[in-house]
Amino acid sequence: MSKYQYVPEPALVKGDHDFASITHLVTDVNLRPTPKAWYLLMLPANALLGLLLVSIGYLIWEGTGIWGLTNPIGWGWAIINFVWWVGIGHAGTLISAILFLFRQDWRTAINRFAEAMTIFAVMCALIFPAIHVGRIWVIYWVFPIPNQMVMWPNFNSPLLWDVFAVSTYFTVSLLFWYVGLVPDLATLRDKASDKMRQIGYGLFSLGWNGSNRHWWNYEKAYMILAGLATPLVLSVHTIVSFDFAVSVIPGWHTTIFPPYFVAGAIFSGFAMVLTLMIITRKVYGMEDIMTNDHMEKMNIIIMVTGSMVGFAYMMEFFIAWYSGVEYEKAIFILRATGPYAWAYWIMMTCNVISPQFFWSKKLRTNVTFTFIISIVVNIGMWFERFVITVTSLANDYLPSSWDYYSPTMWDALTYIGTFGLFGTMFLLFLRFLPMIAIAEVKAVLPQADPHNYDDNGTYHAPVEEIPEHVTVAKSNNA
Amino acid sequence: MSEPSTQANTKTYWKSLNELAQNKEYKNFVEREFPENATELNDGVSRKGFLRIMGASIALAGFSACRRPVQKILPYAQQPEDIVPGIPLFYATAMPFHGNLVGLVVENHEGRPTKIEGNDLHPASHGNTNAYHQATMLEMYDPDRSRSPRRKGKKASGQDFISFAKTFFADTDKRIVVISEANSGITYNASKQTFLSNFPNSQWVSYESFSEEHVLEGNKLAFGQRLRSHYNFMNADIVLSLDDDILAATHPNNVEYAKQLTTRRRVTSRDDAMNRIYSVENGFSTTGSFADHRLRVKTSEVQAFADALASTLSIRMNGLSAYSKVNNQFTDTPFLVALANDLVKAAGRSAVSIGWDHSPEAHATVAAINVALNNVGQTVDYLEVPHLGDIDQHAAMAEALTNMKAGKIDAVIIIGGNPVFTAPSGWDLENALSSVEEVIHLSTYNDETSKKASWHLSRAHFLEAWGDGYSFGGARSVIQPQIQPLHDSMSDIELLNLITNQSYTTGYDLVRNTFRGIHRTNFDNKWTSLLHDGVDRASDAPSTKAVKQNGYPNSGQAAAAVMSGVVMDYRKANVQLSNSLRPSAPEVVDGIELVIKADASLYDGRYANNGWLQELPDPMTKITWDNVALMSPATATKLDLENEKEVTLTAQNGTTVTLAAWIQPGQADDSITLHAGYGRQGVGRVADYDTEQMAGGRNVFPMRPGTSAVAGTVQVSATGNQYPVSCVQDHHSLEGRDMYRQATLEKYKETPDYSSFAYVHKYEVPGIKEAAELGEDQPISLFNEQTYPDYEPQWGMAIDLNSCFGCGVCVIACQSENNIPVIGKKEVGRGREMHWIRNDRYYIGDKNDPQAVHQPVPCMHCELAPCEQVCPVAATTHSNDGMNQMTYNRCIGTRYCANNCPFKVRRFNFFNYPKEYLTTGEDPDIIQMAMNPEVTVRFRGVMEKCTYCAQRVNRAKIDAKINTGSVKPADGAVLTACQQACPADSIYFGDLTDEQATVTQMKRNERNFLMLEELNVRPRTSYIAKLTNPNPALVDNTMPEEAH
Repeated sequence: MSKYQYVPEPALVKGDHDFASITHLVTDVNLRPTPKAWYLLMLPANALLGLLLVSIGYLIWEGTGIWGLTNPIGWGWAIINFVWWVGIGHAGTLISAILFLFRQDWRTAINRFAEAMTIFAVMCALIFPAIHVGRIWVIYWVFPIPNQMVMWPNFNSPLLWDVFAVSTYFTVSLLFWYVGLVPDLATLRDKASDKMRQIGYGLFSLGWNGSNRHWWNYEKAYMILAGLATPLVLSVHTIVSFDFAVSVIPGWHTTIFPPYFVAGAIFSGFAMVLTLMIITRKVYGMEDIMTNDHMEKMNIIIMVTGSMVGFAYMMEFFIAWYSGVEYEKAIFILRATGPYAWAYWIMMTCNVISPQFFWSKKLRTNVTFTFIISIVVNIGMWFERFVITVTSLANDYLPSSWDYYSPTMWDALTYIGTFGLFGTMFLLFLRFLPMIAIAEVKAVLPQADPHNYDDNGTYHAPVEEIPEHVTVAKSNNA
Repeated sequence: MSEPSTQANTKTYWKSLNELAQNKEYKNFVEREFPENATELNDGVSRKGFLRIMGASIALAGFSACRRPVQKILPYAQQPEDIVPGIPLFYATAMPFHGNLVGLVVENHEGRPTKIEGNDLHPASHGNTNAYHQATMLEMYDPDRSRSPRRKGKKASGQDFISFAKTFFADTDKRIVVISEANSGITYNASKQTFLSNFPNSQWVSYESFSEEHVLEGNKLAFGQRLRSHYNFMNADIVLSLDDDILAATHPNNVEYAKQLTTRRRVTSRDDAMNRIYSVENGFSTTGSFADHRLRVKTSEVQAFADALASTLSIRMNGLSAYSKVNNQFTDTPFLVALANDLVKAAGRSAVSIGWDHSPEAHATVAAINVALNNVGQTVDYLEVPHLGDIDQHAAMAEALTNMKAGKIDAVIIIGGNPVFTAPSGWDLENALSSVEEVIHLSTYNDETSKKASWHLSRAHFLEAWGDGYSFGGARSVIQPQIQPLHDSMSDIELLNLITNQSYTTGYDLVRNTFRGIHRTNFDNKWTSLLHDGVDRASDAPSTKAVKQNGYPNSGQAAAAVMSGVVMDYRKANVQLSNSLRPSAPEVVDGIELVIKADASLYDGRYANNGWLQELPDPMTKITWDNVALMSPATATKLDLENEKEVTLTAQNGTTVTLAAWIQPGQADDSITLHAGYGRQGVGRVADYDTEQMAGGRNVFPMRPGTSAVAGTVQVSATGNQYPVSCVQDHHSLEGRDMYRQATLEKYKETPDYSSFAYVHKYEVPGIKEAAELGEDQPISLFNEQTYPDYEPQWGMAIDLNSCFGCGVCVIACQSENNIPVIGKKEVGRGREMHWIRNDRYYIGDKNDPQAVHQPVPCMHCELAPCEQVCPVAATTHSNDGMNQMTYNRCIGTRYCANNCPFKVRRFNFFNYPKEYLTTGEDPDIIQMAMNPEVTVRFRGVMEKCTYCAQRVNRAKIDAKINTGSVKPADGAVLTACQQACPADSIYFGDLTDEQATVTQMKRNERNFLMLEELNVRPRTSYIAKLTNPNPALVDNTMPEEAH
C-alpha cells in the first residue's frame, strides 16, 4: 500500500440532481397547497405563542415580582433565556458568513435555514432584556435619543453595549438573510401560478431578473455583508459576556468569558441547527441536499467547540485557585458542591461529556444519536447560563445575603412561550420561503462548473483522476 | 373645606371606579374633624392642618390619567402661626410602655406626626429610642385600630358611653373590679385613689402578661418591701445578666441600659477600659450576644446558678451565709469560679441582674448578692415606686377571679391590655368575665378581650391624648398629644375620671390640674418648660439645650449636667437584707423544658398589628412574621427535627400548639423557647394568622401555667408537615471571611492594627503598592477617582461594631423616615425584604455554643461604586458631596446595579408594594399620613437603597447656607435616622472634610476597616472592629478570638 491515500471529496448534493430538479425540490414546498401536517404543527406553536403573550401581559401588569427573582438574585430565567437564545443564533451567522468567507461550499445546503433560525432566535432573545426591566414603558431610555432633559444613557454600562450589539447583530443578520433570499424569491415569483404569490414574491424580489449586472451587484453585496457579519459573530456574544465579565461579582468577573461565550454560542447554535435540520429534511425529503456529510461536519464542530467550552470550565477552576481570591475560589467550589451542584453537573455532563462521543465516526454519522446529542447540548447550554447567572449572585461576597433561587410558574411559561414564537416563525418560514438557498446550491452542483462541459456545451459528469501510486481511502459516503 | 368634596362627588364617576365607598368613609372622617370634645392646644399651634390638606386632596381628586390620579391641594386659607409648609415642627412627648415613660420628640409635618425621635433631655431616652418607639407611629395611623366604642359588638359613639357611665356608675355601691395595665400616670393613679374611695366595694388589679411582680416580690423577700431594681451600669465594671435581656426592647428601660452598657464599652484609644459582661441564659438573647462570656443553661436552672454563685461568694463576702450550704451542678464549675472572682474583685463596681420572669426567690438571691457585693447605691438602686402598691398583684388577680366566677362582681373595667389573649389558661378568664354583667374594655384594637366585653371603648393613642407618668427611674413627664384623635376614642385618664366622677373632663384639663397640684408656684412657666423639655426639671425655664424647631434635635449623650437637673420622684430605699432570707429549692424540670418569652418585635402581642414590627427580623433568629419553636442543634438531633419541620408541642397543662421547629445555635439543650404575641385572631389585617400567607404565628399564651418564664416540661411530636418560615438570613457563618473583624481588648493593646487588611490577610491591599510608586495613597483605578474633588462637605459614615447589639431599631427608624413599605411574609420569604439598612448576624465558632455578632449594613456609598458603572441609563450616580444617589424617576429597573453591588444593599420594588400598603383597606388615606413628605414613595419596578438620609443632609445644607452662607453644616447638624435612633451610638455620620468631626475621628481610629477593601470600590461607610473583654481565667472557655 502506498503511503499516500487519496480522499475523494464527497459530492455536496446527493442523488441525480440537476438545476431543474433542485428548483423543483425546494420551491414545491412553498408552492404546493399547505399540507395538513403543517396546520397540525402550527396549532401548538400558536398556542405557545399565545402563552408567551399572556405571560408577558401578566408580567407587565403585575411586575417582575411574578418571577422567582430575589434580592441577591436580580437576574434569573429571563437573562438565562436571553443568553441562550442569542447563543443559538450564532450558528446561523457563523455558517452563512464565516464559512462563506472561508469558501466552505457545504454551507450552502444549510445556510438559509440556519440564518432563519438565527433571526428567530434573536427575536426570542430580544424579548427578554426588554421585558425583564421593572418599567418597560420607559425602556426607550436605553437608546441615546436626544431629548430636552439632556438625559443620556451611561456608556460605561455593558447593558448599553448589549443594546447596540444585539440590535446591530439582528439588523445585519436580517439584511444578510434577505439579500441572500432575493434570487430565490425571484425564482418563486417566476414559478408561482397565482396572482397573490406573484405579487408577494415579486415585491420582495426587488425586480430581480438574473442579469449579469444583478448577479454582480448581488455577489458584492453578499460579500460585504458577510464581511460585516463575521466580526459580529464574535462581538455579540463577547459583549453579552461583558454583562457578566465587567461586573465585580465572583464567578462573573472573569476574563475568559468572551472566547468561552462565543465557543459556547457556536456549540449550542450548531446543536440547534442539527435538531431542526434532522426533523426538517426528513419531513420535506431534503436528504439529498442536507446530507449526512453535513451532519457529520457539524458534529465535528460541536465536538471542537464542546471541548473548548470544557477547557474553559477547567480553566475557570484553575484561575480561581491561581488568582488566590478567596471569593472566586469559594464560588467555584460552591458551584460544584453547593446548593446548585445539581445544575452544575447537568451542565458538565451535557456540555463536556456528551460531545466527546463524536470522536467515534459511527456515532457522529448516526442520525438518531446526533439528534439526541443535539438536544442534550442545548439543555446543557441552558444550564451553563443558569449556573453562571444564578449561582454567582446567590453566593457572592457577604454570606449573610446568600439566598436560594427558585423559579416560578411564570418563569417557565415565559420560556416555553418563546418556543411558540420560534416555532411559529419557523413554520411560516418553511411554508413561505425557500428553506434552501436554491441559487447557491446550484452553484455547487457539478453542472455549475464550466469544466464539466465540452466544447459543444454538453455536460459530462466529472470523473476523478486518481494517480496510480496512491490508494483510495474509503469515501465518506461510500 | 367640605364644599369641594360634594362638588367632586359625581356619583357615577366614583362608582365606576369602585371608589365610592371609600370616599364616603372619608367624608365621615372629615366631618369628625371637630369632635365636640376637641380642645385647642394652647401652645399657639394648631395641629389640625393635615386635615385641611387631606380634605382638600381627596375632595378634588380626579382620575384624568392612566398612570396616576391627579390630586389637587389647596393652600391654607388662614395660615396657622408657626407652620411653614415643608418645615417640620418638633414637639416633646413620652411613650408609655409597661407603665414606664420614655421621652420622645415627634416630628410633625403640617400638623401630622411623621417620625419619632428620642428626647435627649429625658433620662430614659438620652435622645435615642427602641424599635417599639419608632414603630408606634405606624400604630397610630393603623387603619385597623378601633374607631369607635362598641356596645355588645355593635358600633356606638363616645357619647353613648358617657351617658351609660353617668347612670351605671351613679350607684357607688357597685362591686367593680378594675384590671389595669401597668400605668405610672400621676393623674391616673390619683384618679385610681379617688375611684377606690368613691367605690368602696371595688377592687383594683394591675395586670401585665410579662410583669414586674416577681422583682417586687423578690425584693420584698430580701428587704421586706416591694421595691424596683434599677441599675446604673455606668458604674459597673462587671455585669452579670442571669437570663435578663436588658438590652432588648422587651425591657421597659432598655434604652437607658443600652446607653450605659455600650458607653462603658466605648474604646477610642488603647488606654480605654471596657466593662465585662457575663450572661447565663437558655436562649440566645441580644444581651447574650453582647456578652463577653455566655453560659447556656436551662431557664429552670438559672436560679440554681444564682444560688451556687451566692454560695461561692458567701466565703468571701458578708451577708450570704444562708447560701453557704448550697451545692449543686454549678458549684465549682470554672465559669462560676471565674465569675465569682471577677465579681469579688469588682465589688461595688459590679451588677447582677436577673430576668423579670424568674421566681421571687431567685430575685431575692440576686438582691442578696448585690448587697453582699456592696453594689447597692453604686450600680443598683432599689426604688420605692408608690403606684406599684404593697399587694402581690398575682394574689389580687386570683381573688378577683374567684369573686367574678362566684357572681359577686357587677362590673369589670379593663383598662388597656388584652387579658383574654394573654392570660394563662388556668385562670379561665373568659369564664370569669361571662359571669359579670358589664365588662368594659378600653383598648386600641377591637381585640380578643373586647369581643368578650359588653362595652369596648376605643383607646386614644398616646400621640393623640394627654397623659403623664414616670420613667423607669422616676422622671416626670407629660404625654403631649401631637394630633387630634383620629377616631372616636378616649384616653385612660378620661375613662377613669368619667367612671369615678360620672362626668367627662378632657385629658388636657386633668393633666394640667395634676401639675397645678405639683407646681403650686409659677405654674405657667413650669408648665411651658415641662411641655417644651418633655421632662420635669428643677429649673423653671425651658432647657437651653432646646429641642430645635427647625432641623433635627440633637442626639448623642446629653451632658450629665443636663440629666442631673431632672426631677426624680422615686426614692431610693435604704435597704437592709432580711435575716430570714433562705435559699429555696428551685423547681426542677425533667426532660425538655418549655420557656415562653416576650417577643422582641410584638412584645406580648400588643404590637402584632404593626407591619413594621412584624417584618422586623428577630435580632437573633432573623425570622419575620412568625414565632417558632427554638431549640439547640443537639435537641433537634435528638428529636430528629430540622428547620421548618412542623411540631406539636404539648405543655404540662395539656394545651398544645403546632408551629415550626427552628434550630437556634447557642440555645441550651433540652430547652425549647417560644415567643409570645403571635397567632391573633380578628384583630387586624397584619396581626391575624393569615392562612393564605401562613403568617402571623401561633398563640402560645395558653401554655403558660402562670406568668413565669418556665412553663414546665413539654412533649414534642413532629407532624410530618413543613411550615415555611420567612427568615431574612439563610446563611449564618462568615465562611472564614473578613467582613467582621474582632479581637480581645488585650490583643488590641498588643497589636492595634489587628483589624487592618494587611494584618488580617498578611499581605497588602491589592494595587496599593503600585499606587505608592505613583505617589498615590489609594489603589489605582480605571475610573474618575472623584467627580468633585474639591467640593465640601463630603459625607461618610462609621459603624462601631463594638457597641452594636443588634436590636434593629435602626431598621425601623429608617423604615419610618424613608417610607419603606411592608411587603408581607411571602415576599420576605422570597428574599425581597425592602429594609435599607439590615442587621447581619453571624455565628462564630462551635455551632452548639457559638458567639453571635451583629453587623448593620446600610449602603456603603462607594466612591468607585460598581452600581453606578453598570446602570445603562445612569439612574444611579454620584452627588457632589460624595453620596451614591438613586434617581427613582430615571430608573428602568434592570436590577444590574443590585447584582453588581458586592454588599447587596440595593432593594427592588418587584411589585407595587406601596400601592398595596397605601391604597388598600377601608381607609387608606390614614396610613398615607404616616409617610414622610420629604421622601418619595417609590413606584413598582424601581431600585432603591439607603440614601444617607439625603433629605436630612439637604435640609442641613440649606439651613447652613441660610445661616452661614456655606453649605457645610456644623458637625452633628445631620443625623441619619438610624444614627439618631441608635441607643448604642454605633453609627457615626458626618462631613469627612471636617477634621474635627466625630466621624472623621472615628475613621482615624486604628480599628477602622473597610468591608471588601480589596475590591477598591472605596466605601464611604466603614466599620470600627469589635473588641471583647474576656476573663483571662476563662480564656479556654471563651469565644473564638478572631472572626476572620
